[in-house]
Amino acid sequence: MKTASALNTYLKETGGWVAAQLEACTRCGICAEACHFYQALGNPEYAPVWKLEPLRRAYEQRFTLAGKIKLALGMEKRLTDSDLEHWSQIVYEACTVCDKCAFVCPMGIEIGPLIHKVRTGLAAAGLVPGDLAEATDKQKTIGSPLGVTDEMWRERIDWITDEWESNIPVDKAGAETLVVFTSIELMKFPDNLAFVAKILNQAGENWTVSSKGREVVNFGFFEADEELTKLFMHRVFQAAEELGVKRLVISECGHAYEAFRWTAPNVMKVPEGLEIIHITGLIHQYWKTGRIKIKEGAFDGETITFHDSCKIQRLGGLIKQPREILQVLAPTSFKEMTPNKEQSMCCGGGGGVISIKEADSNRYKVFEMKLEQLQDIQAQAVCMVCSNCRLQFVDSLAHFNSAVKVHSLAELVARALI
Amino acid sequence: MDWTEILRFSRGPLFHFSLVIFIAGMIYRLVRIIFLGWEKDRVKSQGSKLSGVIISYLKGLIILPFIPWVRRTFKNNALTFIAGGLFHLSLFLVLIFGEAHILVWQSLFGVSWAPLPNPIVDWLAAVGIISLIILLINRLTHPVLRLLTKLPVWINWTLVFLPFVTGYIMYHHLWFPYEVIFSLHLIFVCLLLIWIPFSRMSHFLFYFFSRTIHGARAGKRAVTP
Repeated sequence: MKTASALNTYLKETGGWVAAQLEACTRCGICAEACHFYQALGNPEYAPVWKLEPLRRAYEQRFTLAGKIKLALGMEKRLTDSDLEHWSQIVYEACTVCDKCAFVCPMGIEIGPLIHKVRTGLAAAGLVPGDLAEATDKQKTIGSPLGVTDEMWRERIDWITDEWESNIPVDKAGAETLVVFTSIELMKFPDNLAFVAKILNQAGENWTVSSKGREVVNFGFFEADEELTKLFMHRVFQAAEELGVKRLVISECGHAYEAFRWTAPNVMKVPEGLEIIHITGLIHQYWKTGRIKIKEGAFDGETITFHDSCKIQRLGGLIKQPREILQVLAPTSFKEMTPNKEQSMCCGGGGGVISIKEADSNRYKVFEMKLEQLQDIQAQAVCMVCSNCRLQFVDSLAHFNSAVKVHSLAELVARALI
Repeated sequence: MDWTEILRFSRGPLFHFSLVIFIAGMIYRLVRIIFLGWEKDRVKSQGSKLSGVIISYLKGLIILPFIPWVRRTFKNNALTFIAGGLFHLSLFLVLIFGEAHILVWQSLFGVSWAPLPNPIVDWLAAVGIISLIILLINRLTHPVLRLLTKLPVWINWTLVFLPFVTGYIMYHHLWFPYEVIFSLHLIFVCLLLIWIPFSRMSHFLFYFFSRTIHGARAGKRAVTP
């Protein structure tokens, strides 16, 4: 039964785009060495191409002669429930859909988006790991994966407004820009809301947050459940439409940016003329156009580095923007980790992995590699633009007793405003 | 039936039959993929798709296989990159610029071109054979490759290796009478041609899909593919 739902999803998802790429794979195995989970844990089943097995088998057995022959000769079996349970562990607990594999594949196969499709089938079969499914359910019913209710959200915004003496307009009629934060920022890094507010106010932005579209994180997208992905984005788009804003600002969340910026127009109706932009791009715009001014060398001294988030840098293209700002903030002490930019290594917490308790040991093991990269350049601080990465850094650095400090870009910019 | 006749059969009807299967099979595969349906991309671009595609091919065709240190992954996959790259180089050069192969092209298309000097082709063929052996050993020992490799992949390897090695033996007039080894060479080539549309050897065609998709996606997002 489970298998039937998954298979139906795979067959529905398999168009020329999927098939052509599955056909291009030569089984060379190079993608394994791009995968931080394989590198850190050495399990051959973590090779990105192996994560595509359910999709490949569904496609070949249904659409290709070779697949049918293999099936008839008994060389390959049909997918079973236990196969899918097995792959559920592999694709949810040992993959952050960081898509580095796609940038290494000699054939250029988009392995990340294909793994997303494998997840879609597993979600349809109800085989999402418990913790992730639970958080998704909270987002569906309460409106936030962390269980933040409407009242809690309100109280929290009021508290932040008091605590940091910031001005955060709520449901402001006539605002031009809607900023949607993550629950992670709201609950774990509340100062980030204050910092972002400070920057926007300094820039003279006519902005607001919305009590209806108050969650930018998309756990439906982590699960790769299509309906939930759309539902969670729909809430935000609806709020944007009601407020009549021209611009939607995605706060510090990589997966949310991927969903809103690059996925939404292909799967649902996006309010006409709505510009979708990441907070990093917006801050950079303000600085470039002189709407905000930052103190040169404000953070010079301790070695600071930048962590590239998969969905915002490698896949979002916001690579030079944060660097240009950091080079102003710390012209002599800014240092790059290797690898970086498109080739950077994922922190290990993305793609929903951090919300799954069973994946904790995987996650820490992967982070050891990140820690090495930090130690190689003797970084004392690291800056990033994704609160999911930040959660992973804060948690894992504490786990390994490291003293490296973690900052968001908004925080650094806000503190250096003049 | 003696070997002269087998040779006549394999260079005539068998070869032409295999070519037909190969071409018809590949056209079928191509049409099949195209008609599976393609969704239109409605996402607004941040960069240029075209430049992404161009860089994607430059990296895929020139830089990636032969100047692989542009990739950090190179050092963990040195064997696959070097042996794989050299194998493809050898395959294309021997096939297109080998003197005997040019005669075949001429019989098929009516045009010919200057061959590479025989000793060079000979060395290239040796490089191809050695690369294939290295790739085989790698496939037998690497845990990921062992997991990924099923019977069809072993057949792929065998059917590529046999034409290479029989061609090499033939050129050096080793061990076998000329008709025998020439016939074997042709028979293995025919088997390979027939096998390609049914296997992943057809990647040479889908390569153009995946690299274009990757380049366009990266270009759209303003990142380097």
